[in-house]
Amino acid sequence: MTKFIIRRLLWTIPVLLLVILFTFLMMRQIKGNPFRKTERAVPAAIQANLDRKFHLKDPWYEQYANYVKGVFSFDLGPSLVLRNQSVNDIVKSHFPVSLELGAYAFIFAIIVGVPLGVLAALRANKPTDYIAMLVANAGFAVPSFLVATLLIYYFAVKWDVGVPTSGWTTWQSKILPSIALGFFPMAYFARLVRGTMLETLQQDYVRTARAKGLRRQRIVGLHVLRNSLIPVVTAAGPLLGAVITGSFIIETIFAIPGIGRYYVSSVSARDYSVTMGLTILYAVIVIFGNLFVDILYGFLDPRTREQRT
Amino acid sequence: MRTRSSIALAALLVAVAALVAAGCGGGSSSSSSGGSSGGGSLAADQTITIAWGAEPPSLDPGLATDTTSSNVLLNIMDPLVKLDPKTLKPVPSLAQSWDVKGANVTFHLRHDGKWTNGDPVTAQDFVFSWLRTLSPELGADYAYQFYGIKGAQEYNGCDSKKDDCNALKAKVAISAPDKYTLKVQLTSPQPWFIQQAAHHSFLAVNKKAVTKWGEKWTEPGHIVTDGPFKLAVWKHDAEIDLAKWNGWRDAKDVKLQRANGRIITDGTTAVQSFEAGEVDVNTTGIPPSDIPRLKQKDTYQNYPALGTYYYGINVKNVPLNERRAMAFAIDRKEIIDNIAQADQVPATGFSPKGIPGFSQIKTDYLEPTADVSKAKSLLGKTPNAKKNVTLFVNDSPGHKEIAIAVQAAWKKIGINATIKQMEWAQFLEFLGPPPNKAVDTYRLGWIGDYVDDINFLELWTCKSGNNNTNYCNPKYDALIAKARQTADNAERYKIYGQAEQMLTGPNGDFPIIPIYWYTYVTQEAPSVKDSFNINLLDQFDLSKVRVVS
Amino acid sequence: MAVNPQQEEFRERAVVADTGAPGMSTAGAPVRQTSLWRDAWLRYRANKAAVIAAIFFIALVAYVIIVPFVSPYDPYAVDFSQAYAPVSLKHPLGCDQYGRDLFTRVALGGRVSIGIGFAATIAIMGIGIVYGSISGFIGGRLDNGMMRFLDALYGLPYLPFAIIVTQLFRTVNIWVMIIALTIASWFTAARVVRGQIISLKENDYVRAARAVGARWYRILGRHLLPNTLGVLIVFVFLELPGVILGEAFLSFIGLGINPPKASWGSLAQDGRDVYLAHPSMILIPSIAIAWLILSAFFIADGLRDALDPRTRET
Repeated sequence: MTKFIIRRLLWTIPVLLLVILFTFLMMRQIKGNPFRKTERAVPAAIQANLDRKFHLKDPWYEQYANYVKGVFSFDLGPSLVLRNQSVNDIVKSHFPVSLELGAYAFIFAIIVGVPLGVLAALRANKPTDYIAMLVANAGFAVPSFLVATLLIYYFAVKWDVGVPTSGWTTWQSKILPSIALGFFPMAYFARLVRGTMLETLQQDYVRTARAKGLRRQRIVGLHVLRNSLIPVVTAAGPLLGAVITGSFIIETIFAIPGIGRYYVSSVSARDYSVTMGLTILYAVIVIFGNLFVDILYGFLDPRTREQRT
Repeated sequence: MRTRSSIALAALLVAVAALVAAGCGGGSSSSSSGGSSGGGSLAADQTITIAWGAEPPSLDPGLATDTTSSNVLLNIMDPLVKLDPKTLKPVPSLAQSWDVKGANVTFHLRHDGKWTNGDPVTAQDFVFSWLRTLSPELGADYAYQFYGIKGAQEYNGCDSKKDDCNALKAKVAISAPDKYTLKVQLTSPQPWFIQQAAHHSFLAVNKKAVTKWGEKWTEPGHIVTDGPFKLAVWKHDAEIDLAKWNGWRDAKDVKLQRANGRIITDGTTAVQSFEAGEVDVNTTGIPPSDIPRLKQKDTYQNYPALGTYYYGINVKNVPLNERRAMAFAIDRKEIIDNIAQADQVPATGFSPKGIPGFSQIKTDYLEPTADVSKAKSLLGKTPNAKKNVTLFVNDSPGHKEIAIAVQAAWKKIGINATIKQMEWAQFLEFLGPPPNKAVDTYRLGWIGDYVDDINFLELWTCKSGNNNTNYCNPKYDALIAKARQTADNAERYKIYGQAEQMLTGPNGDFPIIPIYWYTYVTQEAPSVKDSFNINLLDQFDLSKVRVVS
Repeated sequence: MAVNPQQEEFRERAVVADTGAPGMSTAGAPVRQTSLWRDAWLRYRANKAAVIAAIFFIALVAYVIIVPFVSPYDPYAVDFSQAYAPVSLKHPLGCDQYGRDLFTRVALGGRVSIGIGFAATIAIMGIGIVYGSISGFIGGRLDNGMMRFLDALYGLPYLPFAIIVTQLFRTVNIWVMIIALTIASWFTAARVVRGQIISLKENDYVRAARAVGARWYRILGRHLLPNTLGVLIVFVFLELPGVILGEAFLSFIGLGINPPKASWGSLAQDGRDVYLAHPSMILIPSIAIAWLILSAFFIADGLRDALDPRTRET
């Protein structure tokens, strides 16, 4: 097991280098002047000053080498647009917000989605199942910007239940965005859990347990649930990564100062260092998220545990 | 599985349909923040909440380039002069008086200016700050504002590898002969220089704070300011709060205690916030398609701006009379009423209404509406007219709709325009300079830096970095050069009038087609509507705001 | 959505398990090809939900293809006298703020969205098949290397990566979106194909073919790929919604197709500006998206049930 972990950890280094290289090369290709925000052209002398200050005219391999050095010493460079902040500052102040938003969304997804799936599976083919799957399918198909807009309209504007229309400050302000972001994962989990539970319920060992006369709850609780939840865990990893990296729509609509919103604006503004830094951050999240889930899976599923030793 | 799923599917679609029906039926917005307007009795709680449209990229006067930074800075710092809201003439602020003798300007500072750390504000602060903004190492975007000062451009363009920058720095003609006197020598008499000094880039910074904290000196705990308000809170991308500073020289005249700011970049979100009563002033803006609904309410407010929305034409590709024809074919009023919708003013010239001397400058040749017959006859005068032209616009909302209306207008006189959209940053690079051969016509706007027509008219000189039309007329350049040397306002406005005639007059060259003059659109709660004002340069002065009940 | 390589297998399982049917998704030894497909078709037809979903799907596709041809309205012309015209026989979905007929614009937007969806999905399948077949068939060190490379690409987050790719081009049009979305999400397809090839490779009939001396392209073309077809078709209908949502999101934030060019995402963005007064403007394109996604998913469910001979057990 430890050998597996170490090998995977070692593999992340070349993967990360590759990610940096891809992003770096692509950013160099994107045309546009980060210092020209309005129609006003930048006078030549000032452009020269800025290029010098940010080393933009150095040969590309020098820039790349410096950048890689920076990444591995946790220095992601200065922002070209936000002149008094470095990319590290931006990450420090905004990443926790996105992380929190993603976490709450995920918690919502699990608290609502898993029981929904279980309920649907236990009452398969009955009305409860239909309704549960109705909700789940709605969450799947309805795009999150509509969910967000509807939530704001009904809860914050029309019925005015005490939640603000935007912002991320009081606990009330965190409710709607978390639900809006968590709607899709909730649907995903509901469908997934229902499916795996139905599959497990058909398995021989469950039939055996029933035949033995074990009470239904014990069966469900002990055997079925645990085995059904394993695919949920494995899906959770990449899903959490997807949630965090895809949060920019919710952040824009709810005016949440997260990393997603910054990412989108940095691309339009050609703030190269911020775009690169955030892409790398995302990649790290995805890579380590997957690694964590792999390890977790290795512990959970006795079959893989057998394989490893 | 089958029947169950099919019912589920059908049920879902029914539910969705019901939602649509409900949406189509209802849909009226909630009531906006009510209450009586006007009145005049001061409210007990002098606090307002503002929606800002962007995170300020920097609160360093040398590095700030956008309007949010500019507005925050002008309220937490003390400029030398401010602009009178009605006449736009400079009024004393930190400078209590000034003398202008030809190219020599002397500011006499008040003796009671103070920094929040207790230091007095001196002329030396301004020398330090202005030289700092001009230093090549800082890489200040707005350093060009100072190029009117003798020696400034040379210092700013200094390459430390080749030249002796310290020597050049010493040659910059800014000095402080005594504690409260600031002397500046310009490259030529520039009558607009005093007004230009109202721009945020001319603000002073506190040397101690800057040297101690370096790049981080603008954070709330470190920043040292000298204006009516202090930077109380700055949560990046979320919140900026300004609190009244009782140590300011005229603090007794300031009624507003606190201005909390929420940074909301999305227009619809800002409108929702305002309508839910969460903010008192929405400066983020209103999506153009929502303006018709909000215009009806008394919270809607509209201010004229110093800026022109125009279409540039590549004069090498499109002959003269065709350009004139294109200008007359466009119905400006219709575009404003139906697409832009923010009560913009139809532009009959490049110099915007509101610029001093406008009555002498304007040409009155172009009309707010289209004159199709005149356009056709003008086009008829050109044998080699280009029938198929390209029209480049950037892909922000509104521009393409206007382009479509213009395309339809040109089609009426027989010109086929192909609209090409581009993303903003690439669009700017593509246009030039040097101007791109593939571009026949393009869309751009120009917002004034300061309140004098020279900064509009100088765009169309041969060497201007903002001239993407290939227009180069030595007579025009001569006029602009003459204007720069003319100190007397009335005389100068006459020259501006001649220059404008060369652009958009009866014998004008029409390198550009003006479409409309900009406006600023806000939503303001009745409690602050009267005292909150935005001037032509998109600046608002919080020290004049009072909350009434 | 990018899924971790290690979990690919389990995603498949989960995806199969979704329908409540036990068993793995690998096709068993093929019966004569013709009767497998015919059986599948019969099974699909018997599945009422899948049939309804297919009808909805085809109806939507027909709508987006046909309406712009026959519509008397120019979807780009502005006519303010008709702004926000209500639902009527002349305008089945009303008009937008510029007086443009929504019924036509939604169809046009559908062409763009579904067109991008299908094109990108097919491109994804194409690249995936090539990459996965090479990797799976040749195996060994090459397979290992190719999969490691894929792991690296998995580290690139889907939507941010697509955004960067779109910015490489001067203007974002349909082709740019297709390229961006394809580049950002072909990895899963490659994995799926590879997984299938590897598990099929060990079958007796393949060994037999090899023993007889069949060339690699014959084995691939005749035996392996056709048997992956089932899984691939299901995969197409699962990938399609993801691509369409991706396009909708990008257009919604302004980094994709921009107005006045219509795509469902850009129509939703337009609609959100005025939703407080005219909610249908955002509801209608969103419903169109939901309609497509739901029907695609139910079709995928049905196809999976139909094509896997071992799942009929309810």
